Amino acid sequence: MKIRGTVALLALLTGSAHAQTTTPDEDGFTHPLRTLEFNPGLDQREFERATFDALDIHDPWESLNRRMYYFNYRLDQWVMLPAVRGYRYVTPRIVRTGVSNFFNNLGDIPTLFNSLAQLKGERAMNTTARLLFNTVIGIGGIWDPATRMGLPRHREDFGQTLGFYGVPHGPYLILPALGPSNLRDTTGQVMDFAVERQVDYFSYSEASGGEFSLTALRLIDLRHSTSLRYGQLNSPFEYEKVRYIYTRARELQIEE
Amino acid sequence: MRLPLLSALLALVMTPVHAADISIEEYGYPLSNPFEATIASTPPELRAEVPADEDIDQADYSLRMHPEREFTLPDNFWAVKRLTYRLARQPGAAPLIFIISGTGASYAAGKTESLKRLFYGAGYHVVQLSSPTSFDFIAAASRFATPGYSPEDAQDLYRVMQAVRAQQHDLPVTEFHLTGYSLGALNAAFVSQLDETRQSFNFKRVLLLNPPVNLYTSISNLNKLVQTRVEGIDSSTTFYELILEKLTRYYRQQGVIDLDAAMLFDFQQSPLRLSDEQMAMLIGSVFRFSSADIAFTSDLINRRGLIVPPGYSIDEGTSLEPFFRRALLCDFDCYLTEQLIPMWRARQDGGGLPQMNQQVSLYALEDYLRGNPKIAVMHNADDLILGPGDLGFLRRTFGERMTLYPRGGHCGNLDYRVNARDMLEFFRG
Repeated sequence: MKIRGTVALLALLTGSAHAQTTTPDEDGFTHPLRTLEFNPGLDQREFERATFDALDIHDPWESLNRRMYYFNYRLDQWVMLPAVRGYRYVTPRIVRTGVSNFFNNLGDIPTLFNSLAQLKGERAMNTTARLLFNTVIGIGGIWDPATRMGLPRHREDFGQTLGFYGVPHGPYLILPALGPSNLRDTTGQVMDFAVERQVDYFSYSEASGGEFSLTALRLIDLRHSTSLRYGQLNSPFEYEKVRYIYTRARELQIEE
Repeated sequence: MRLPLLSALLALVMTPVHAADISIEEYGYPLSNPFEATIASTPPELRAEVPADEDIDQADYSLRMHPEREFTLPDNFWAVKRLTYRLARQPGAAPLIFIISGTGASYAAGKTESLKRLFYGAGYHVVQLSSPTSFDFIAAASRFATPGYSPEDAQDLYRVMQAVRAQQHDLPVTEFHLTGYSLGALNAAFVSQLDETRQSFNFKRVLLLNPPVNLYTSISNLNKLVQTRVEGIDSSTTFYELILEKLTRYYRQQGVIDLDAAMLFDFQQSPLRLSDEQMAMLIGSVFRFSSADIAFTSDLINRRGLIVPPGYSIDEGTSLEPFFRRALLCDFDCYLTEQLIPMWRARQDGGGLPQMNQQVSLYALEDYLRGNPKIAVMHNADDLILGPGDLGFLRRTFGERMTLYPRGGHCGNLDYRVNARDMLEFFRG
């Protein structure tokens, strides 16, 4: 009895939260809203103000963007997702992981380039080490020993580099098949693509330039490893919400 | 001086108000703050063990509940002209459980998914259904597209469940069960009552998880959450900016972070933690987005002209932002007064709000619930959607069939292993 009591007391006192454990009433109800401090008039408009503010994103090509958004939605439902299902059906899990690792390893090349361009020395060294370990020990990047060795994967793209040097994001843009972007990030994507082709690590670019199937595999892998679904937000205003989330997420990535 | 205080505290903790209640230390759920529990749910290591998604044989199917909507809804609603649901099937004959999602949530919502994993792991076929208040359900399956009147919502749900059964007629089902969380639990109670006369399923067991008792109390609580006094906002910093700012600073301190449940716990331990008021505001905002979706969709389909002018032509390129802004001003109270109550008055010859509240809340089913051993309820002592007296009503009505957990906020403990074990035990019978 006494021990249990002490335990309970300890639990009470060490509870990190600062909401006081309110006394339960005769029904056992703790009245969780009673501890909150409310605006006296209950007429604050902060939710509305914050949300309206979040809707203010430069989107001059909205009509075209919306059409592209629905085009991508259909493409996803009728082409990409069935392809991913087929891919998951015919390949064992270990193969899929190997494929993802391989393309992630390739993606470390633009990361290295952009970390250098943003003068992020530590990140550049980390990525160089990843490339070396994964390519040599991980056999061309099929395994990812670097992550286990405590070298986490970072992503730095040229859009982030441009943002780092103060280039504004420009008009919001929905790209065919690739989805949400903006003028700055689209420029960045073109640039990263060019870097990858220039470096031409294991003649991958040459091979994929000739072979459509490698590029297709890369796209399927990208879709397989992205858990987002169109319609997932389950709202008539999904377009607006995705636009805000994309824009803010990029800002956070640039600040990181 | 210290001793009396100590013993008073002890007495407080040690004597549960009712003999059957579970005490905090027996329960072991670590989050004492109901707002944290509601947002972050259960720490990953304390969750029930469930099968991985790759090991679940599941697929999405769709139903044409209202073929005429394909012509009456604008083009950009093409994705919700049919109602999608998800079925996870066992290899052989098995009991089937329907799960009804909570306010505004779709069949694929996180909590519905985690309940699916739990029941699938225990050998059930599982059908996941969107809430009648969810965007896709209003557009594709709701006859009057004005959700909130529980008896009508139950009929819409029942028609969907029958259509699911017809579409999956080759699925070997031994018996039917039903559950739902939050508003979905209230829906489940009404569906169960409807089934007593319609008899399509003859549910063996029905479990209500954190239902609203007095629907209007729940709505008022949620509306009030966005009225908390939040520190740190001014003319240049909005509430969202404030939260993102905190996350960014945390990001910088930690180097790498993954936005998952574990990170949320660590974040709440850091000096940047969100206050109760900020968390309340966040929870309230989620419900405001729900009410905006409901108000817009219901108005559009019924051509009421409150948000979208009747006859306004909408295609895939049309900006919906002006309507979004207008709908954002409409909270649940506004939806109730402007859309639900007028329709209810016209259809049911109803009177005022108190009368409707009586008909849509659990009160309407009091006699049915009291005498029915197959229905049980699980609730939390610190649930945000409850008001004074609600737990008392549940105690009187359900008696031994009510389980009250001392913590968990609103549905934060559904995936906690103690709750999972209790749920499975109830359905095992």
